[in-house]
Amino acid sequence: MIKSTSFSLNGSLSLNKDELFSNIQLEIKLNQWTVIIGQSGTGKSTLLKIIANLNIPVAFNNNISKNINEDLSFSWMAQNDLLLPWLNVLENITLGQKLRREKIDLHKANLLLEKVGLIDVAKQLPSTLSGGMRQRAALARTLMENNDIILMDEPFSSLDTITKSKIQKLTWSLLKNKTVIMVTHDPLEALMLSNTLYYVSNKQLKPIKLPSSKPLRKITNDNLIYSYKYILNLLKKSYI
Amino acid sequence: MRGFIKFLISFTFFILCWWAIQYLTKTPSYILPSPYKVFLSILNNIELLTYHSLITFFEIIIGFLLGTILGLYTGILFIISKSTRKWLLPFIILTQAIPIFAIAPILTLWVGYGIWSKIIMTILIIYFPITIAFYDGLKRIDPMIVNLAKMMGASTYTMLFKIRIPFALPQLSSGLKLAAAFAPMGAVIGEWVGSSKGLGYIMLYASGRVQIDLMFASIIILAFFTIILYNLVTFITNKLTKWDPKSNLN
Repeated sequence: MIKSTSFSLNGSLSLNKDELFSNIQLEIKLNQWTVIIGQSGTGKSTLLKIIANLNIPVAFNNNISKNINEDLSFSWMAQNDLLLPWLNVLENITLGQKLRREKIDLHKANLLLEKVGLIDVAKQLPSTLSGGMRQRAALARTLMENNDIILMDEPFSSLDTITKSKIQKLTWSLLKNKTVIMVTHDPLEALMLSNTLYYVSNKQLKPIKLPSSKPLRKITNDNLIYSYKYILNLLKKSYI
Repeated sequence: MRGFIKFLISFTFFILCWWAIQYLTKTPSYILPSPYKVFLSILNNIELLTYHSLITFFEIIIGFLLGTILGLYTGILFIISKSTRKWLLPFIILTQAIPIFAIAPILTLWVGYGIWSKIIMTILIIYFPITIAFYDGLKRIDPMIVNLAKMMGASTYTMLFKIRIPFALPQLSSGLKLAAAFAPMGAVIGEWVGSSKGLGYIMLYASGRVQIDLMFASIIILAFFTIILYNLVTFITNKLTKWDPKSNLN
């Protein structure tokens, strides 16, 4: 059997009587980062939930068909880190194993905590950590689960610019060979972290031509200005 | 320790106000006895009061424990079974519309004059705040945390015990604190309606014989029970929710 290198989504999505996507044709390449950029309320996050087979509110009318291998497993990283406040960092990272009643792999958890720079706060509660540290703990939890596809719903949007940049680089370095689907409002983030970039326009997902195929592109002045203008122009058009 | 000193200060202030009102208004002691008279009454009737207090305290504790277990069970039932919630919740709300004083004589008729009618009264009084607070806490969880746990492979059991219940603890502790304040009321109402034992009985007995100091002594002992129970519940719930800064505001 030939192993598939991508999966796709086709169809439409509406909320009450308002159509959000009229004709989605989205191809997700495995082991790459696919980023979707667009305004709020266009159904990007709902799209992620549909991919992960999560329940969406009944107000949505979902006519999207997927040719996804049913065996694929998913992880979720969101703007809200979703750390459980009564568990310490280490317990949060090993939560999946605890929920599945598996043996806790403390060695792996400690290695990951070292990688994300949280080994010194492993026994601390999330409420004692900064926003950046919490997001790094969420990243370690995602890595601990080691699922096939990682869905990211604006995971860095609540962070300040410098912390955001550091965590983006860390996330990319640790997940660069994974299949990541991320939705964002931030053109620069979209530009830096995507192998394939789509934007939401006229109820459709349209691919954006990127300046190079490498994610985490170097932010040269020319590159930055060209790309920023390009993406902003496309976004402006989608407002009309 | 600091809390205990604060309690002593406010208790002393209360006694002083009471004494001042009684002294300045020259109210006769068969209407409002002085704190000293009440203190003397406690000393003179220490055996009688100890015996009846222990009975009331037993009713309160058993009623509180059983009411809590029943409330927790109903809260869990509501969250795992939509149909149970739909059918049972309106009925529970309806029972709250019936005055508890109206139920007390019926309970005495059905269960008898023993301690069980008082325990059931206590359960009835605390069941609603515990059930609703717990159910509210269980359903208030961020749906994305539930989704995350599902993606991690949580079963119904682990979702409930490792995710939903810990998340509901701050809400539950509010319900338990309310219950701790209401529970003594349930037991005493039961004793008023039909009993020959307990502090409620002593209050009626003392009232009938115009022993107002003894009546006040019973009320003070009951108030102490309530304070002890409330503080015990607060201590336990604070330990359980120490991760939640909002639950432990000083």
